Amino acid sequence: MSLKSSPPECRPNRRDALAALLIALAALVIALIYCIPAETASLQVSVSVDGRVEEFAPLSRYAGVHTYSHNGYTLTVSCDGATVQVVSANCPGRDCVHTGAVSKAGQSIVCLPARIVIRLSGGAADLTVG
Amino acid sequence: MGRYSVKHLTLWALLAALALGLSTLDGILPLSALLPLPGVKLGLANIVTLFALYVSGAPAALAILTVRCVLGAVFAGNASALLFSLLGGFCAMGAMILARRSGGLSVFGVSLCGAAAHNAGQIAAAMIVLGDTAVVGYLPFLLLLSLVTGSLTGLIVSRLLRAAVYLPLS
Repeated sequence: MSLKSSPPECRPNRRDALAALLIALAALVIALIYCIPAETASLQVSVSVDGRVEEFAPLSRYAGVHTYSHNGYTLTVSCDGATVQVVSANCPGRDCVHTGAVSKAGQSIVCLPARIVIRLSGGAADLTVG
Repeated sequence: MGRYSVKHLTLWALLAALALGLSTLDGILPLSALLPLPGVKLGLANIVTLFALYVSGAPAALAILTVRCVLGAVFAGNASALLFSLLGGFCAMGAMILARRSGGLSVFGVSLCGAAAHNAGQIAAAMIVLGDTAVVGYLPFLLLLSLVTGSLTGLIVSRLLRAAVYLPLS
C-alpha cells in the first residue's frame, strides 16, 4: 500500500483549476458543435427505436398521441404541433418523462431502458434540455 | 495470490462491498428528477475507487471497480447496465491513473478527470446501446456537472486520505 511511501497532495492547486478549465472548455466546444443550426426551415421530429428510425415527420403533422414499445417498456408521446413530450412511461427512473417538453431543433428525449430517441431537427438549434 | 496478504484482500473486499452499497444508494437518490439527464448520478462509488487508487494502487482499485460493476449488474438483473458501468468505470479509472501519474494534480484534479471521463464513457456506452449519436448533446451538461461531482468526491477522498494516515493500512 503506497499511502505512506508517497503522501498524496490533498489541497487543490493551480493545475487542478487548469484541469477544471479544460473540462469546461471541452463542454463548451461540444455544445458549440451541437449548436450549429441546420438549414431546414421547419422543425421535424424523428423517433428512433433501437437505432432504427421508426418515424420521421414534420412537427406539425406529428400532432397527437403516439405509443412506442421496445425492450419491455412503453412510452406514450404527446405532440401539440409545437412541442413534443413523453407524458408517461414505465421505464425505471423515468428520465424521459422528467425531460419535459422539447420544442427546438437539436433537442432530444432519450429513454435508455427502452432504447428510444425522439429528436427534433431543422429550424434554429438549441441545446436546452428539459 | 501469494503476493497479497489476507489483510489486503479483506480490505479490498470491504471496499468493494462499500462501493456496491454506495452505487446502490446512488441509484436510489432522485437526482434525475432535479436534472433530467439520462444516467445523471452523483458518482458516490467513485469515492471508494479513488480512495483505493491512492491507498492500494491501480491494480487493486481496478479489481474493486470490476467487482463492483459486475455484482451491481447481477443484483440489478440488468445486462446493459454492465456495459454502462464498466465503460464509464474503466474510462474514469484510466483517466485517474494517467492524471495521478502525470504529477502536479492533487486528489481534486485527479477526481475531476475521473468524473469527466466517467461521463464520457457512459455517453459512449449510450451511443453503442442506442445506435444513435443524439446522446452526445447531453455530454456538455454532464461534463459541467462532473465539475461539481468530481470536486465533491475529491473533497471527501482528501479528508479520508488525511484520516487514513492514522489507520494501519500497510
